[in-house]
Amino acid sequence: MSALPAVGAESPIQVRNPSALDLFMFSASSWLLHRIHYDTPFTTEHDGHPGLLIHGPLQGVYLVQTAESWLGDQARLATITYRHLAPAYLGDSLECGGTVTVADDEGVDLELWARKPDGTVTTSGTARFTRR
Amino acid sequence: MGVITEEARRWADREYPPFEMQVTATDIARFAHATGETNPIHFDREAALAAGYADVVAPTLFTYVVRMHASALVSPDQLEPDGSPSADVPPLPTRRAMAGETSVVRGEPVVSGDVISVRKRLASMYEKEGRSGPLVFVEMEFTFTNQRGDLVARENFTRIYR
Repeated sequence: MSALPAVGAESPIQVRNPSALDLFMFSASSWLLHRIHYDTPFTTEHDGHPGLLIHGPLQGVYLVQTAESWLGDQARLATITYRHLAPAYLGDSLECGGTVTVADDEGVDLELWARKPDGTVTTSGTARFTRR
Repeated sequence: MGVITEEARRWADREYPPFEMQVTATDIARFAHATGETNPIHFDREAALAAGYADVVAPTLFTYVVRMHASALVSPDQLEPDGSPSADVPPLPTRRAMAGETSVVRGEPVVSGDVISVRKRLASMYEKEGRSGPLVFVEMEFTFTNQRGDLVARENFTRIYR
């Protein structure tokens, strides 16, 4: 049985700084047409945000990638639940990390999060990874 | 007094038509590039075969792409001013939307050539009082299966209107 991290182990932090190009590519690749991710005048004047929003689902991908690059080929995502606690805007730097909350014969449970450098958590989640 | 009207409750009884998406290597490569993936199993068939997949394999949360196409691949006159598909937006006075919670149960991987079927239903609609006024939560449930009938994923997504 390969070694998965133990309870309390912490993942390396992945820093993500999506650019306007990254936001556009995510919208285009998924056919997500919501203007708050590419139309700055609409986003600021209509929705009252200070800038374009980093997609919630893109942050969900960041959480999964943080865990996958930590656990490698030993384990596979089985379930994940994540929620958005604060908006993340274009220009924000997101520090993504995770920690093991349960480790058993079948796999591990993780807590995962994305936060701004000031500590504001924008997205947090829990995931189950099972051994391959 | 809540903001979810009788009209909105009737709207919530609607059924969504099933949707199918034939997934190509191009779809997979686009999403992989957009999310910063570099593993060749998402771009190169030989690398995917060597890793034990039947073809180029999609990144883990790729079903997001399938469900967005299921919702948003409509003519522009069926979109709201903010770009959201009108069929997804309940008739409410609160129309500024943001993503809330997502929950995914994962099944079989998606590979190039798969035909993914999506069944979509409105799972729940409820309201809460937020700091800046009422918030309405609209939870959609998506069930994804492939051409063999295998479960690919089940995803519950809650959108918040404020």
